[in-house]
Order: sequence, then C-alpha cells, then structure tokens
Amino acid sequence: MTPLVGQVEIRDRSEGGGCVAENGAFCFDWAVDNFDRYVTPILEHLVLVTASVAAGFALAFALALLSHRRRWLVPPLIAGTGILYTIPSVAFFVLLLPITGRGTITAIIALTAYNLQIIYRNIVAGLANVPAGSRDAGRGMGMTPGQLLRRVELPLAVPEVVAGVRIATVSTVAIATLAFLAGAGGLGEQIYSQLDFKTNIVLAGGLCIVMAIAFDLLLQLAQRLLTPWEPAQIRRRHAAGADDVLAAPA
Amino acid sequence: MPGESSHEAVSVEYRGVTKRYQGQDEPAIRNLSLEVPAGEICVLVGPSGCGKTTAMRMVNRTVEITDGDILIGGTSVRDREPAKLRRETGYVIQQIGLFPHRTIAQNIATVPALLDWDGDRVKARVRELLGLIGLGPEMADRYPSQLSGGQQQRVGVARALAADPPVMLMDEPFGAIDPINRERLQNEFLRLQAELRKTVLFVTHDIDEAIKMGDRVAVLKQGGVLAQYATPAELLMAPSDGFVEDFVGADRALKRLALMRVSDVDLWQAPLAFVGQSTAEIRSKLEGAEVPHALLVDSERRPLGWLSDRDLARDTVPAQPDSSSDPLLDRDDVLRDALSDLLQAEAQYAPVTDGAGRIAGVLSVEVVSDFLHSPEAAVEEAPAAERPLAE
Repeated sequence: MTPLVGQVEIRDRSEGGGCVAENGAFCFDWAVDNFDRYVTPILEHLVLVTASVAAGFALAFALALLSHRRRWLVPPLIAGTGILYTIPSVAFFVLLLPITGRGTITAIIALTAYNLQIIYRNIVAGLANVPAGSRDAGRGMGMTPGQLLRRVELPLAVPEVVAGVRIATVSTVAIATLAFLAGAGGLGEQIYSQLDFKTNIVLAGGLCIVMAIAFDLLLQLAQRLLTPWEPAQIRRRHAAGADDVLAAPA
Repeated sequence: MPGESSHEAVSVEYRGVTKRYQGQDEPAIRNLSLEVPAGEICVLVGPSGCGKTTAMRMVNRTVEITDGDILIGGTSVRDREPAKLRRETGYVIQQIGLFPHRTIAQNIATVPALLDWDGDRVKARVRELLGLIGLGPEMADRYPSQLSGGQQQRVGVARALAADPPVMLMDEPFGAIDPINRERLQNEFLRLQAELRKTVLFVTHDIDEAIKMGDRVAVLKQGGVLAQYATPAELLMAPSDGFVEDFVGADRALKRLALMRVSDVDLWQAPLAFVGQSTAEIRSKLEGAEVPHALLVDSERRPLGWLSDRDLARDTVPAQPDSSSDPLLDRDDVLRDALSDLLQAEAQYAPVTDGAGRIAGVLSVEVVSDFLHSPEAAVEEAPAAERPLAE
C-alpha cells in the first residue's frame, strides 16, 4: 500500500502506529503528539471571530443608534445588511481579493459583513421591545433623549443585543473555516490540508465546536452579569433564539 | 440647589387651551379653560377619545399646546424648558412604567438623580418615601418584577413624589389594579394627599373613581369639549346637560350617598327606655314620636335592643328586650353602606351611635329618601381630602 505523497511526512512522524496507517476515526495518541500543529490555526481562528464580531457589533450599534430616532432608516438598513448576508462567503472572499488582497483583513471584512445583519436586527428589536410605559415614564419625569437612551432603553435592550451577538459569534466560528480561501488561515485551512485523514478532520472540526460552545457560554455569563434584574425564565426566553443554533433538533 | 425646600402647592390654570394633532381635522381639545386651586385634586373624566389624557399631558409638555396656555403657579409652561418642567411635575401612569432593570430604590430616586442630589440625601429620601407608602426598607434592593401589582403602583407614586413636586399628573394610575386593591390604593392616596396637599390632575374614565377622588371633576365629551366642571356633589345633583347626566349614570342618587356620612343627615329620634323604668311612661312617649318603637339603652345610653309590644305589656322595662338593636350603625359610616346594611337586615330602623357607642339617633330608609330630596344635600358635603376615610 503506497501512502499519498502529501501525507508521508505527518504519518511517518506519528507515534500512532496502526491507527494512523489504517486512517482510524480518531487516533488519540497522534492527536496528543501533534496538537502543536493546531495552536496557530486556533489563534488565527480566534482573531478572525473576535475581530469580526467586535467590528460587526460596533458598526451595527452605530447604525442602530442612527436609526433609533429616524425610524424610516430601519427598513433600508435591514435590506442593505440583508443583501450582504446573502452573498455566498466564497464569492465574497473572491470579490474582495482585488480590493484588499489576500489576508486576514479581507476575511475580517467579509465576516463582519455577515454579522451586521444579525446584530443590527437584534439591537433594533431590543430597543423596540423596551416597555412603552418605561419610556413614557422616563420622558415624563424629565429625562432628555440621551438620558433616556443611556439609562433606560439601552440597558433594557441588553438581553436581545447579547442574544444577537451569541448567534453572530457561533455562526462566525463556522463561516470562518472558509477564511483560508482569502489566505487568512484558521482551523479551516487545517481541515482542508488533510481532507482524507479522519483524525485531522475530527480534531479540527471538534475544535471549532468547542470554540463555539465556549464563546456561547462566555456570552451567556456576560448577559447574566449585565442583567441581574431578569428572572431566570425570562432570560431563557430571550436567549431562545441563540440557543436554537446550538440545540439539537428535538 | 433645586428641590432643596419643600414645594408649596400651586394652582394650575388652563387658559383657552386647544390641541390639534397633525393630520386630524378636529381638535383633540377645544378651547379648554379651567382652574385647579392649589392643593386640590381635579379629576379629568370622560369617555375614551374625549382628550382627557391629552389635556393632562399638556401640563408637563409631553404633549405640546397648539393654542392657548397653561399656567402653573402663574408661570406659563410654554416658557419652561420641557425636561426641567417635567422634573418638577410628578408623573404617574397606568402602566406604572417602573424601570425593570433598576431596583426599587433606584426607581424612586429617578428624579433626584436627574437633579444631581448627593447620595446621602437620596438615600434618606428613599427611606422616607418607602415608609410613606408602607413598604419595608428591605424592599429597596428588590427589582420591580419581585413586587405585586399594588406594591408596584405604590412605588410609582413614591417615585413621582421623590423630588416633592408641587403638581402631580396621574393618568389612570389605578386602572390596571384589581378592584379590591384599587379601592385600597385610592384610600391610601387620599390619606397621603390630605397630608401632602399636592395640586393633582387625575385622569380616569371611571365616574365612580372621579367622584371618590376629586375635589373637583371636569367632565369632557367627544371632541375635547368641557361639559361640566364642578364638585362631585354638584355634578350628581345638577348635571349641566344630558351628556353629563348619562355619563354620571342613572344611579347618581346612590352615588351621592357614597359621598355622604350618616352624620350628614338629620337623624330621627326614638324614645329611649332604661332597664327597670315603668312601661307606662314609655308608652306615653311613643305617642307622636318620630320612631314608633322604643329603644332600650344602658346607663351610658348605649343601645341594647328594641322593645316589642310584649315587652311594653309588662310593668317595667325588662333587661332582655325581644328584638336586638342590629343593624347598629356609626355616625361616620358612609351613607350608602349604612343604607345597604339597613336593607340587608330587612330592618326598618337602625340605631346610630357616636364614637363612644352612645345613641345619636335613628336611621331609616325614609330618612335617606327625604335627605336626597332636600336642597341642602349638595351643600353639606365636605371636600374629599377632609373627609375621614372608610377602609
């Protein structure tokens, strides 16, 4: 049996013995011995996700504030960010190449564009769901529009905003596996480099899942700390949208 | 520093106020003029769409005036900066509108925070207000969702009172509360008001609430036209037109009774009998008496029961009369409740006692009926805030 040329190096150095030679479902020993190969892709992936979600949040937040007192801006902004959201990611990377070249920046721009729609929609929904009575009371007691926004509307929108960031983050972890097409590395590159080596696929793919779950738990914790007033059952309801992404179908 | 001293109540005067909403042909409020004297509750009442909430909201400029002016303590609201004006005007709304993300203490401290009071002063004020509305200090750190509807509404009132505003606006403040708690909250507010003497504009669609809460009631009809502005008793006695008459309802005679105390009517007197007294003496007193039955009382003149013909057939008055003195009424009972007791007990007469339990007179259905037809019925009523409250 002749091993494929591309895999000679990896498999020869492995201590996995028979498992690697037989391309078993998951060769634990090999994974442990070769984990350092995955550290750089993990870090690249983390940078891609964090940077694009942060940029998406900042942009979406600015757009939401802009359209908060100019309601007529909401439909065109939803439509605009919606169009960005529907561009196939592979096409998006290719389209950006002539403008921003290959590299992390290109990938972050595309991933940010995908986040915009989800986060913007949720911030707008969060602000719209502020109880009318709270808004009326705040205004009637002499809050200026800015004070009303900072002291009442934004704090009350936090659950929806965080729910949006959670969905955006989890889906970005997945979409970022294509970032290598823009030359930005990440766990996707690792997956594609050894497509016929099962242990590699399971390990790199598993790391993506672990990363998504870790992000989600962190954000859930952040929401709990930011919204001490929310009773548990309401918090679950608010988070339902985000949970749907991770939850297995019943 | 603003809000340093306790604010004296001031009058609120509408001068030919008209409100026209954009895109609507008919004005929501048409040339409204009325004056609410300092320290009184003015209830704006009317069917939905009569503009009562609009009329109230123009006072703190959450709705802008189209034409005319509103003066608070002689100063036009149009000359005031809206945010500042609102911080000096208490505001209570039907949805309560507590901020769910803020603790009870933070909610109450909303306006003091906007006025930059220092922390100690805010803390002291919050404690004082929690006491005023009957909530324990342990409530301060709870969130609104942890309180009952009635408690939330009390906090809403406390929040409006925080910076001691001279004028309070209350938009159906008890509208979302169940009837039993509503009655309790109404009474609590009247008790507070007797002490605080704010000038209050109170909006409701419920004529019974208007009559109970108002020193004066402004009845508005469709198109924002003022139909009548009068005291509750005047409104019930002399509705200005068919609309007001319909609005106050066919039971306005009964509603008037709710405004009165037993002590407001001229009670009848029954011949009194003491234990051991000769019955011949009693029988002679019964001739021509207002009440044709003798009431047995103890040495302190506290009613023991009615004497029957069989009791009177003896030589002396027995210690145990045949018929009990129930229902026994108190001078401070609300007249409507007293009448209800009388009817429920299927009694013709009920003894009325004073605060010490001594007999003060006798109430009968005829007494009440005579009273309703007498001209002084409307005049004898005291302003709401001075009336003792029935719980």
